[in-house]
Amino acid sequence: MEVEARIDEQIIDLIASGVSGKFRKVKITRQTNLQKELGLDSIGMLALVFRFEELFGIDIEKQGIDINIAKLKTVEDLIHAGRDIVSRATGAESRDA
Amino acid sequence: MMHSVDEDRDDSLRIIDCHCHIASEEHTPVSFIEASVTNMVAALSAQGLPAPGRKLTALFLSKMQDPLCDDLVEEMDESGISRSILLIPDFTYTLKDCRLTIEESFLRHREVMLRHPGKFEVFGGVDPRWGNDGIALFERSLAEFGFRGFKVYPPCGFSPSDPSLFPYYELCAQYCVPVLLHTGPTSPVLDFSVSRPFLIDEAARRFPTVNFILAHGAVSFVEECVMMCRFRPNVYLDISGYQATLGYAPSASAVRHIVSLGINHKVLFGTDFPVFRLQGDQKSFLEALTGEGGALSELSERERALVLHQNIERLLEATVSVTAR
Repeated sequence: MEVEARIDEQIIDLIASGVSGKFRKVKITRQTNLQKELGLDSIGMLALVFRFEELFGIDIEKQGIDINIAKLKTVEDLIHAGRDIVSRATGAESRDA
Repeated sequence: MMHSVDEDRDDSLRIIDCHCHIASEEHTPVSFIEASVTNMVAALSAQGLPAPGRKLTALFLSKMQDPLCDDLVEEMDESGISRSILLIPDFTYTLKDCRLTIEESFLRHREVMLRHPGKFEVFGGVDPRWGNDGIALFERSLAEFGFRGFKVYPPCGFSPSDPSLFPYYELCAQYCVPVLLHTGPTSPVLDFSVSRPFLIDEAARRFPTVNFILAHGAVSFVEECVMMCRFRPNVYLDISGYQATLGYAPSASAVRHIVSLGINHKVLFGTDFPVFRLQGDQKSFLEALTGEGGALSELSERERALVLHQNIERLLEATVSVTAR
């Protein structure tokens, strides 16, 4: 549980770092809409994915994980997807070890 | 008594997407996508992010795996879009890595149309440099395949008023079908210099019975598009591509602006699926327009109906009556 909470926090920080302009004033909660309330467009979403890979040291493509970016609408969606990717990546690592 | 989905739906809520494409590399060459991705690489690299073009292309291509439009139909159902128009831009003359010939591309679109009855109309496009074969194929598409319009893609290297297109426009007049032409910038592998809306003026004047739709009119060369719509009776615009503006204006202010100018009898709803699939789905894009505070929320029901379905229905109805004869 503690690990998950840390991942959640890191993902929220990641989202906050990718928000610019007037959207920086928006208080980010789990229900916050990524496009409507934070102004994240295609480039913004891609930047989030690449920052996520950098932060957690995961190459999503190499892991063969399929993420449906279009379905990530809220902060909560992103947290769930992030947790899933981290757990699948660490699972794959321990299998490979 | 059976009713179609269209008949059952409240008229003010009926939605027709006049600008879609099949999400498949079969119809969009990889060179087109790779060049488009270079702009994304530039934007991401500037933020210090390692964003190799190969990886971005792979991500984009992962959203281009719907050759039969089953996913698109699902998204249409989820978002309340009852019908979509599939457009076939002909890249086959200019870009040599196209997987299919233009004729094969037409046939695939016909298969999709037949696979999902009532869901799709198709506007076929042919590069005018294919000569008489191209004209024959286009006429076949109208007479045999049941296609309902002509798609013109000037950035492939010709003006939309180039005389080589006139035989096509004559066919459009004969079959009473509209022409939809791309305007504004596109993949950097193509020529932007022939993408200005004013370039349609000569054709629109010469063919007054043909209706011309300026694609992406709420995004690129907006003032020119609005002028053309206001002063040329046979010129319309579609708002597809408005999703590109949602990053800085989530309530689609580009669309809000267009629909405040008194030309709503000329404005058509469109999404340009699958171009923005890395940003969201059809439902979320529609919500930006029709949801609370959305760009169309302040319109009267009558005006909203014009934009969401009645204008394009009017342009398509002419075809039906001609075919019926």
